[in-house]
Amino acid sequence: MHKIWLICKREYLSRVKKKSFLIMTLLSPLLIVFFYGVIFYFSFNQDLEEERKIVLINDQSSVFENNLENTKIINFQYNKLTDSEPKLLLENSGAYGVLTITKKEGSYTYDLLANEQPGLNTLSSIESKLEKVLKNKELEANGIDKKIVNDINAISVKLLTRKNTDDGIEKGNSSTTTIIGFLGAFLIYFFIFLYGVQVMKGVIEEKTNRIVEVLISSVKPFQLMMGKIIGIAMVGITQFVIWVVLVAALSGPVSILVMEMMHVDPSAMIDGKQVAGASQDAGFSEILSSLSGLNIPLLLGLFVFYFIGGYLFYGALFAAVGSAVDNETDTQQFMMPITLPLVFSIAIAQSVINSPNSSLSVWLSMIPFSSPVIMMVRLPFGIPTYQIIASMVCMILGFIATVWFAGRIYRIGILTYGKKPTYKELFMWLFRKN
Amino acid sequence: MIIEIENLNKRYQNHIALKDISLSIQKGSIFGLLGPNGAGKTSLIRILTHITEADSGKILFKGEPLNEKHIYKMGYLPEERGLYKKMTVKDQLLYFAEIKGLSNKEAKEKLKYWVDKFEIKDWLGKKVEELSKGMQQKVQFVATVLHEPELIILDEPFSGFDPINAQLLVNEILSLKEKGSTIIFSTHRMDSVELLCDHIALINKAEKVLDGEVNAIQQQYKKNQFELKYQGNPLLSDDYIVVTKSTSKDSANTCIIELKQTMTNNNLIEYLISKQISLISFTENLPSMEEIFIMAVQQKQQIN
Repeated sequence: MHKIWLICKREYLSRVKKKSFLIMTLLSPLLIVFFYGVIFYFSFNQDLEEERKIVLINDQSSVFENNLENTKIINFQYNKLTDSEPKLLLENSGAYGVLTITKKEGSYTYDLLANEQPGLNTLSSIESKLEKVLKNKELEANGIDKKIVNDINAISVKLLTRKNTDDGIEKGNSSTTTIIGFLGAFLIYFFIFLYGVQVMKGVIEEKTNRIVEVLISSVKPFQLMMGKIIGIAMVGITQFVIWVVLVAALSGPVSILVMEMMHVDPSAMIDGKQVAGASQDAGFSEILSSLSGLNIPLLLGLFVFYFIGGYLFYGALFAAVGSAVDNETDTQQFMMPITLPLVFSIAIAQSVINSPNSSLSVWLSMIPFSSPVIMMVRLPFGIPTYQIIASMVCMILGFIATVWFAGRIYRIGILTYGKKPTYKELFMWLFRKN
Repeated sequence: MIIEIENLNKRYQNHIALKDISLSIQKGSIFGLLGPNGAGKTSLIRILTHITEADSGKILFKGEPLNEKHIYKMGYLPEERGLYKKMTVKDQLLYFAEIKGLSNKEAKEKLKYWVDKFEIKDWLGKKVEELSKGMQQKVQFVATVLHEPELIILDEPFSGFDPINAQLLVNEILSLKEKGSTIIFSTHRMDSVELLCDHIALINKAEKVLDGEVNAIQQQYKKNQFELKYQGNPLLSDDYIVVTKSTSKDSANTCIIELKQTMTNNNLIEYLISKQISLISFTENLPSMEEIFIMAVQQKQQIN
């Protein structure tokens, strides 16, 4: 045990003391918050960046004349031209484009001549304005009041969900549970990959440097492997805790900052956006209330369990791969079967969210290859206790099995150099005597 | 005897690495394990250091069957060197010492001695990757001996050392021997061990070809050949000696003589002086280890 502790300590300290660890640990949350801010900023200000454009309307049908609403980025001006003129006018006027509208036998053709290929944003706003004019015209022709149409469009239905449990009826919120579940699943997926690969690289380093020859005379291969896996897990947990704290501490101020940066005066907001803002506030309080409905201690506890269990399960396999090869380029072939179930579980998470209690979902949350990710997705929906216990037992058994399996390969692999072993040889290593 | 090896056998899947090897290594001596590449030297060392196990045979460490606790009394410098590149010299040395059973406090004390000796104080805080190759070699050597092992096993210790550092290493090895450590030396460069080793074993193709005290082996394989420098009448071959490569320069003659029949060196000198020459120098040409190795391998092949 003392040996595992020594190895674990080395793995931990040598990584945590590195400058790159400090930089990555501090920078990552800043980057996450920064990107989050940027996305937030642009999602509310997508038009701000574009210059105002003047589009000349050459309307041969006279239907659109003076009826098009200007948008934030487009000003419409009207000018009837002859066929040969649009090109000339575009060059002389400095307008963004010339839109020629002609009507033939009841259908319109629209031709936009511009100096560049217009962006999707520009196109769709011009199109929607044109459509609006035509629709209004059609409504008027049929004697329907615009107000009625607006009222019809304003109808929207939102289901409130409640869950019947032993303790009574809980208020549920599917979108919140979905987000929490998916977040947990993704974090576990990310963690397993990030640190699993570090275990593998560490093993390869020791092997190619022959450090292992010096160590292995004094420690058992199993101790060396476990020390490394646990040490790197501690690094991951340290990093993760720092991230959570930093992201939590920074997210609030940054959101406020972004709001201010937008210079958006609430009174200047158009009606639609105010409504959207109000419903977002309502959504937020709903999220808070549904969060309180979830069993947070259980969720967190199980998150930590699957976080560690999944990492140990895969970390052992990554260690075995590292021991079997001489350099990183050779790992590809052996990485495939390990990464495939992980990628598969994250890919199938969406359908698990859609039907969290289907038999596929239940089985995937039992098999240790996929259970860390799938269980996280299912948990917020509330699942029977016996399933949780069964899945945890499977996880522990699976972990013991992969550690045994990895240990057998590792003890032979770290001292075998030269040709990359085949799967058949790896299988033989499992049962070979020392 | 610190190590006694009896009938050791080791087989890998496709080839035999060691075949019926028996050796004994005296405490406080420097033992050379010689042989070409792939002869089985490293396989033998790996069994001694408990990295792998032998298929059959017995190894005694100070009379007891070799077991795990003896490993802490060994220091092993593998042929292909390696340290953790991103770790500082100090952390690295302390780590290896602790892995080999020292407490952190003991390790720090012992480190002080070697830091002064190898003048690496300024380097302690540096990462290994920042050091020159020669410095890395020194650090690795310190890592091997820091826990004051009774048995030090050096696999090709001089490879990668420049002459100055090689000399430093030789001095260290000799002073470790004086302090009572036993040193096993494994190398394919046989010339490097003649001066250093007390005993040697020659291994070829998994089998021991020859072992014993260096001087005794050289005597056993000597060709009774002498290099002379003298003044006087040129020597000629006769019933007792064959004279070859006779040259003369600045009124001094040099030649190589071989004895037709054995006689002691004293008798030979008396005989030469009786030829009316004045000797300037007289050297017995002892065979080099390499020559001995080739002769021994040939003899063994003839026997088989």
